[in-house]
Amino acid sequence: MNPEIFFVTGKGGVGKSTVAAALAIKKAKSGRKTLLVEIGDQSFYKDFFSLSSVGHEPTMVQENFSVALWTGQSCLREYILHLIKVETLYKLFFENAVMRAFINVAPALPELAIMGKATSGPRNHGPKLPFDCIIIDCYATGHFAALMGAPVGMAEIVKVGPMGEQSRSIDRVLRDPRVCQYFIVCLPEELPVRETEELFDQLKANYGITPQIILNKFNTKSLSEAEFVAAEACSNAEFREFSKQHRMLQGMHLEMRTRVMGRDPTTQTLPMVWSHEVMQVLEVLAARLK
Amino acid sequence: MKILVCVGNGGVGKTTLAAAMGVLAAKQGAKVLVLTIDPAKRLATTLGIEGSKDICKVPGQSYKGELYASIVDHKKTFDDFVLRAAAKSEAAKKLFNNKLYQKLSTSLSGSQDFTALEKLYSAYESGEFDLIVLDTPPAKHAIDFLNAPQKLSSLFNDKVARWFRESKSNSTRGRLMNIFNAGTKQVMNILENITGSELLRQLADFFMSIEQWQEKLEERITRVHRMLVDPETKFCLITSFDQAKLVEAEYFFTELRKGGYHINSIIMNRSHPEWLNLHEALPAEAPVGSKNLFALYKEEKEFYACRERIHATFAKKHEAQTKVIRLPDINRPISDLLGLEVMAEIIRAQGDGQ
Repeated sequence: MNPEIFFVTGKGGVGKSTVAAALAIKKAKSGRKTLLVEIGDQSFYKDFFSLSSVGHEPTMVQENFSVALWTGQSCLREYILHLIKVETLYKLFFENAVMRAFINVAPALPELAIMGKATSGPRNHGPKLPFDCIIIDCYATGHFAALMGAPVGMAEIVKVGPMGEQSRSIDRVLRDPRVCQYFIVCLPEELPVRETEELFDQLKANYGITPQIILNKFNTKSLSEAEFVAAEACSNAEFREFSKQHRMLQGMHLEMRTRVMGRDPTTQTLPMVWSHEVMQVLEVLAARLK
Repeated sequence: MKILVCVGNGGVGKTTLAAAMGVLAAKQGAKVLVLTIDPAKRLATTLGIEGSKDICKVPGQSYKGELYASIVDHKKTFDDFVLRAAAKSEAAKKLFNNKLYQKLSTSLSGSQDFTALEKLYSAYESGEFDLIVLDTPPAKHAIDFLNAPQKLSSLFNDKVARWFRESKSNSTRGRLMNIFNAGTKQVMNILENITGSELLRQLADFFMSIEQWQEKLEERITRVHRMLVDPETKFCLITSFDQAKLVEAEYFFTELRKGGYHINSIIMNRSHPEWLNLHEALPAEAPVGSKNLFALYKEEKEFYACRERIHATFAKKHEAQTKVIRLPDINRPISDLLGLEVMAEIIRAQGDGQ
């Protein structure tokens, strides 16, 4: 059976990595062997989960739940080793200055290697990735666009040959809703909502993808007007100010939810969890996710 | 001439704070330039300078000093650099048509950082401003910004370009194969099998076209580095407030100091809501009729009290070397110069400016 592949994206600071981790925990608890992938040179999840290290090979966090840190380089290395198989030849390959320059200059090659690895299961090509569920934390909207655009971009430069063929096959899988799902994490605030609307429309127009929106840190406990009116009589000044601000916030949150629901009517909301304990926050969020 | 470089990961409000710090300095009498990346294209609207590519004076100001702003246009900055660096304009033209270059100039990791620094250096060289505030491109980690120029330069440092240049054969592939040693030939054969020959041809063309500006790029990077480690150049780390981000801030702090850069402050943006008063005690019991609201209030208040303890530990650890400033969440979008002035006033009150 093909693995499920989830891409989690959104504007910086909306809690993407936390939501991706909560989704991973939810999947792992339901018995799916889950891999949470982060992309880049340095790991966020290492400190987040207090692990001693996180690298290209999966590190186990809990039963059924592992994390890995992929870079374009590490994915490319693995792929090429898989293709040429002979270790000495592979060393020769990577210690060669021409090869290093090639990796650095070839546009979108790191992104292509990452997307190639993510989709290796359904394409039945490349090193095996033995997981039922792969969740990829794509760290910023701009970088996510680079990841999504890499296969098409490469296929444009290289029309013939194996590279062009692989690029087109990756692109096909990414557009297949039976295999890949996309989440845009958003906050109930003006700028993140605007960026979410734009990204939603772009994904739809460029790839025919319908992403799902997750509204994070949403005020889920709606209070009645009477509560705010009663608070005005309280002698504590700070509480009166809190009441005033919270009333505004509640209104704004509802307005923002209406806006994103205009794009995705199935938008999920996650509450703000007032805790500094990572696992506690994740458990609450995982329980809320559909 | 002073420079303030604002670094930090995406979404922390770096662009807005960079602009607000520019406003603050202009209010205090300086001639300031805010150089911004403005990935979401919203600061240009806030400042009322949409559509202008060059440095322009921000309209609607009445400060003791002057506020100028410029949005960095990556493609144009990169192309301008190549034009200046290339000895012959045909060489530059050829490069502009190369598919690899077209992608490289805008999407290669590090190229945006390079163009931001390139723009900063030109403004610095002009000597026209008392202060330049630079807002850096979003990165997963703040430290990526500093490593970018070296990364870009190492690309052209490799002996590779020379190999391409020194070959004499007429066909690209022939040239490639003549100059490579046996090992490299083997590598090229594998690469050709994996990628096809078209990509290799583009690559060879690319390296042959950049031969002239290789030296200029390296020279530029050396000068930019000298400007960045100058004691007059200060770095300001802008971060959000949570455990993982604090660990990252610490890492960044250590790396900056190792690299010989000068850190001016760590700003924790939106660290607490505006209504929070740390000295105000919690009322003993819920006011009549607002029990649910009071429960929320209590929960948040306890959360921020805990955060306050974490912050105190962090600030104490670094107070000897830098200012650690917290800015409240003002809970409304900043959409014009007036909004930036409000923010500037908050920065002044919390951390007496730069």
